[in-house]
Amino acid sequence: MAEADGVSVRSVLPCLREAELIKQGAEARVYRVRFLGRSAIVKERFPKRYRHPALDEKLTRRRVAQEVRSILRCRKAGIAAPVVYFVDLSSNCIFLEEITESITTREHIAAARASGRSVESLHDLAENMGRILAKMHDEDVIHGDLTTSNMLLKTESSGELTLMLIDFGLSFVSALPEDKGVDLYVLEKAFLSTHPNTETLFQKLLHSYTGASKKAPAVIKKLDEVRLRGRKRSMVG
Amino acid sequence: MHLTNSLELFPEFAVTQLLFRDVKNCAELRKMAMEGKIAGALINPAMVLDPFQTLLAANKAVHVQKVGKMKTRSLYSEIIFSLSPTNNISEAFKRFGISDNDHAVLIVLVHNKEEEYNKDDVQSKVDGQQIPADQMSSLSDFAKIKKLYKVSSQEEKCGSVLDAVICRMAAKDVV
Ligand SMILES: Nc1ncnc2c1ncn2[C@@H]1O[C@H](COP(=O)(O)OP(=O)(O)OP(=O)(O)O)[C@@H](O)[C@H]1O
Ligand SMILES: [Mg+2]
Repeated sequence: MAEADGVSVRSVLPCLREAELIKQGAEARVYRVRFLGRSAIVKERFPKRYRHPALDEKLTRRRVAQEVRSILRCRKAGIAAPVVYFVDLSSNCIFLEEITESITTREHIAAARASGRSVESLHDLAENMGRILAKMHDEDVIHGDLTTSNMLLKTESSGELTLMLIDFGLSFVSALPEDKGVDLYVLEKAFLSTHPNTETLFQKLLHSYTGASKKAPAVIKKLDEVRLRGRKRSMVG
Repeated sequence: MHLTNSLELFPEFAVTQLLFRDVKNCAELRKMAMEGKIAGALINPAMVLDPFQTLLAANKAVHVQKVGKMKTRSLYSEIIFSLSPTNNISEAFKRFGISDNDHAVLIVLVHNKEEEYNKDDVQSKVDGQQIPADQMSSLSDFAKIKKLYKVSSQEEKCGSVLDAVICRMAAKDVV
């Protein structure tokens, strides 16, 4: 995709040229590197050629800033997200703590389903997701790109699993129930299409979300409205 | 005793950290630093939790020097400034620099990777006892650090105080 944009796949930072590329996305490349004696993840946002350069730079920079701000806001509220080590605004790179011993929630759910485990075995996880998202929304952080790939499950040395939120590039701050409802709608769409036949699992998630936040009823009401709008649009379109 | 690390982003440089306690000439050292007679950042070790914290500050200082975005006069003052959670320069020096009546000092040097740091230049000037730089946390003032960086107990649920400090240093330019 970067090639289609006519953008060089080589990073502007020399140290990334030899680094292990773990994901090449449409807007960002993710690398694994050593940084000051630690293992780190670098998220590099590169220019999109089809956008006006000045506008592009502004948008890219805003995403980098938003990603860092939201991680900090979440962590301050006790919501697990990777530590930010260093931000390079001249190359639009964020250096993050690498969450080791982790897999994406997507992989976890897919593996459980593939091995024939029941949906019920995933209920605790879904409830945990609901609680954490409620907490995040209570901090007025709207993630903007909620998917099961953007939640990591880390196995702690104690054997416990910690759910961590990542990929805050599209996040913003808002207290509006509508924005929170849309956030959940995006997740619902992604969840049900990635993990077929898990409607009850997503119900569990919403149920624990509702139990965990006083503001949840207004959000769920908006979620219902957004779903209805989505359905109407797909009937027309 | 000292710790030397390379900077992956700036392979030509290395950072060396030296830690001293029972220091009797902090006033003199401070004066020498202001006159440019010590090529290093003199830091109050009470405000540092781990060598990684100062290493990140040094990395950031070299970076802003490279891209021409320094907010202070020298690379060494920029290291001190990078430690601070706020953009107030005089506040940063007051908290993270050394004061005349201090009794401990952490010296952070940035030097050419090929060369060893100039040992004599620094060690001979400090009237104090050098201790291993990785024992930094033995001199940290935990309560003061938590207060200055505004680390809540909530935040400690998802990470260490060092994690909280590091995030604030990194996010300073974007919040
Ligand atoms: N801190 C981290 N520790 C470990 N793995 C990570 C970390 N950050 C990202 N990853 C891995 O890299 C993948 C991609 O990262 P991320 O979701 O942040 O980028 P992206 O999806 O390309 O971003 P965007 O959607 O903003 O373009 C994640 O799904 C995860 O597997
Ligand atoms: Mg992602």
